[in-house]
Amino acid sequence: MAGKIVLCRCEDVTLSDLEHSVSRGYRDIEEVKRYTGFGTGPCQGKECLAVVALQLARITQQHPSAIPPFTSRPPLAPTPLKLLAKDPGAHRFADETDEGED
Amino acid sequence: MRLSGSSVRAYADESIAAASIACGSRVLSRSLKYHRPRTFFCFEGHCSGCLVRLGGVPNLRACQSPCTPGAEVEGQNAFPSAEIDLLGAVDFLFSRGMDHHTLMTGSSVLNKLANKVVRQLSGLGKLPTHAAAELPEVGRFDVDVCVIGGGPAGLAAASTTARAGRRTVLVDDQLRPGGSMRTDPRVGRALAEHYGAETVRTGVAVLARSTAIGFFPEDDGGVLAVSAPDRLYRIYARHWIWATGGYVVNLPFPDNDRPGVLAARAVGRLLVDHGILAGERVCIVETPAMEQDVTALAQALTGAGADVTRVPLADVVGTRGRGWITAIDTKRGKLDCDLVAVAATPAPASEGARQQGCSVVLDEHAGGFKIVTDDAGRTSTANVWACGDVTGYQGPAAAAADGARVGANVVEAG
Amino acid sequence: MQGANEDEEDESRADVSGEIRLPATLEGRTGNVPEKAEIAIVGGGVIGLSIAYHLARRGLTDVVVLERGYLAEGASGRNGGGVRQQWSTEINIRLMQESVELCRRFAVDLGVNVWFRQGGYLFLARNAKETARLEKNIALQNRCGVHTRMLEPKAALDIVPELDLTGIVAASYNPSDGILFPWPFLWGYARQAAAHGVRIFTQTPVGGLEPQASGGYLVHTPRGAVRARRVINACGAWSPRLAELIGVQVPTWPIRHEICSSEPLKPFLRPMVSELSSGLYCSQSMRGEIVGGVSLPGHGSTYRMGSTLEFLATYARRLVRLMPVLGDIKILRQWAGPYDQSPDGNPILGAAPGHPDFFLACGFVGHGFMMAPIIGKLYAEWLTGGTPHEIFVRSPLARFADGSGAHHEKEDFNIG
Repeated sequence: MAGKIVLCRCEDVTLSDLEHSVSRGYRDIEEVKRYTGFGTGPCQGKECLAVVALQLARITQQHPSAIPPFTSRPPLAPTPLKLLAKDPGAHRFADETDEGED
Repeated sequence: MRLSGSSVRAYADESIAAASIACGSRVLSRSLKYHRPRTFFCFEGHCSGCLVRLGGVPNLRACQSPCTPGAEVEGQNAFPSAEIDLLGAVDFLFSRGMDHHTLMTGSSVLNKLANKVVRQLSGLGKLPTHAAAELPEVGRFDVDVCVIGGGPAGLAAASTTARAGRRTVLVDDQLRPGGSMRTDPRVGRALAEHYGAETVRTGVAVLARSTAIGFFPEDDGGVLAVSAPDRLYRIYARHWIWATGGYVVNLPFPDNDRPGVLAARAVGRLLVDHGILAGERVCIVETPAMEQDVTALAQALTGAGADVTRVPLADVVGTRGRGWITAIDTKRGKLDCDLVAVAATPAPASEGARQQGCSVVLDEHAGGFKIVTDDAGRTSTANVWACGDVTGYQGPAAAAADGARVGANVVEAG
Repeated sequence: MQGANEDEEDESRADVSGEIRLPATLEGRTGNVPEKAEIAIVGGGVIGLSIAYHLARRGLTDVVVLERGYLAEGASGRNGGGVRQQWSTEINIRLMQESVELCRRFAVDLGVNVWFRQGGYLFLARNAKETARLEKNIALQNRCGVHTRMLEPKAALDIVPELDLTGIVAASYNPSDGILFPWPFLWGYARQAAAHGVRIFTQTPVGGLEPQASGGYLVHTPRGAVRARRVINACGAWSPRLAELIGVQVPTWPIRHEICSSEPLKPFLRPMVSELSSGLYCSQSMRGEIVGGVSLPGHGSTYRMGSTLEFLATYARRLVRLMPVLGDIKILRQWAGPYDQSPDGNPILGAAPGHPDFFLACGFVGHGFMMAPIIGKLYAEWLTGGTPHEIFVRSPLARFADGSGAHHEKEDFNIG
């Protein structure tokens, strides 16, 4: 291993990746998320959002309270398609009613 | 069960992760970009360290999957195996990091090659081998109070509202409710089980191994979708209490993701809840805020026979080991160890409450984005409450008291 | 169209190694907009940035881009990255042939990877009416030189073995359609435009447009006002709001479209797959995620971009039905973005009637992203003195008032 300080293990985002992103001008938490990919893996930021946000406050010399979280998006945990498929809220298209599905 | 082709004996109801670590199995997969070795870190189903292929289905969390006889567990994303992965060379080739956005854009020949290589390297886990056996129907709860999180705060809040006659459902994503009580030697497993039993006795409907996956505003008043292992539930409630606690996080030091670096709370959980001493020579890397928690953990580990060294984060300069960790480098020299426990303030699990519009604020002492509440535990959204570590790190005893107090306030509010 | 030799480097590509940063940093959080500019582009989405980049390449660098949020905040950062030539009108087919070529060259021309992958688009029909629609489109596409072909259902299985063919009666497939990763597309345009001298301001909403006696507008922002000789409205679904500032009615409306992404899997799915009956579509991104959506009828005009359980459930239901092996695949994240819906499904381009210095680049109905490379290029050619391409002649705002657009065919092959 090569001495990397890893902030987001899902997407292999390091502290130097964060610094690089800020140096390129991507410094809002949403921009940093998109440029580095942090928070977009299987944990969706559970392990890294707070860590990255606190480092970002330090690097950009802002008070932590000035840093918002990135948008919270469902599902909050990886959810198998099979559990959702029979939800009563699903829209039914014409080809389903024709076939007389349940 | 079978792990990467070898037979492993395990206790029923033990998690695959606990069984694996007890039998000395280590690296489970490789990371996406640099192919760094990956394995257990949090032991509470939130990180991506222990994703394995189980029964032909990719990317399941070993720490939240109970052992079953004959279970086939396989590592992922490595050639020829997770322990020895030839693509690990990527980590050294790009030792100073890689900006994949500008990688190999110099010529179209190189760029075509980059596109091909990156596609083949991408992804974690292969497609399932078969179609899902069934598509389950969706369940539904209509209640007065929905408590999200079955740790000390959530269990206390739920039993308080249920005792006052409120129809209450509690959603907990762990194998067994109890949350941080199962990880803290000052509290212990017995108290977790007592609280859990008390919650059931007061009439709370407890959904274990169930995760609140999102709050959707589309139905009148909104619906909370919860995924259980076997089905989805729609939950409708008059009051919502977020008691989701905090996520364990890593601390920033070089090679902090080496296998064998575990969350201190995971090390505590293995000892307190599973009776497993995960290392004989344990280094605890800590921040000043966690001093009391670390003292309790260190005593418990020492009592169980481990040799424990405490190292402030500021002193750590690196880690060593081929595969599993063998030492950390500090400003005062090399420390041999077979386990590193990282004690950082847990990050409030506030993202679900944020979907209900609750205000949060980034606060270093709270560990991350804490839910903002008034003295009664009200959030900025009507009928939405919060208690325990999700409002800022408190520890299990204080969280339980907070949960009981906020539960009483919810009862009083109607 | 640029030279066919793909190994030839674009000589106008500026060296951006290391030093050139995004203008947000260059301008600083409190930096002011310049006092004047030849062109102010409002909207830092892919359309606005593509126009800015192509203007700069043609030497018109006195350009400011005013983005109210961050780059990729709007629909440009929220789409599925599909790039196809399977359309129902000749002009869209021909434009997209050129766009595909520009996408193919993008990484090398602009120095940023967009992971453009030509895995094809596979459309699936479940009844005779849908089949007829595909056949009619294919005839037109073939006349234009796009090699789309009809497939028997079994042949579709050769391309995507995971399909459940029950109820599928026909398919159309064009191997040269593709997908890309949307975000770096914007960064590539922004970096190159900035390197050529364009100034891009993020977090800079436009609050007022004050017409000037000598022509042009004083464009008011929290960073001060810029006197622009011409203003281009590239605000996507928010275009009517900008136009309202000078009393121009743009008859488009925002339609929320939802989309989601799965856990990353090793590569298995080559083309974008789409089913006409439900508007279901999905493809596998360069990161291995299955990214896709489905049509949800009847939600009307809204700027609300929240996610719904209805979408998640509908997508799951249709996707598991079409590809049962995905039943245990897990969804990681869902989000939404607005289509800028125009009354006839075609874009609105060119100066607004009676406002010769106010240009429109909107109404792209969900395919603005894939159109942006060619539209930006053609727009820049026109604004720097070139002859307007046919698309500008047939897409004026005036067509809705005077009926002049009635003789043009309507694009009806929008999905998602």
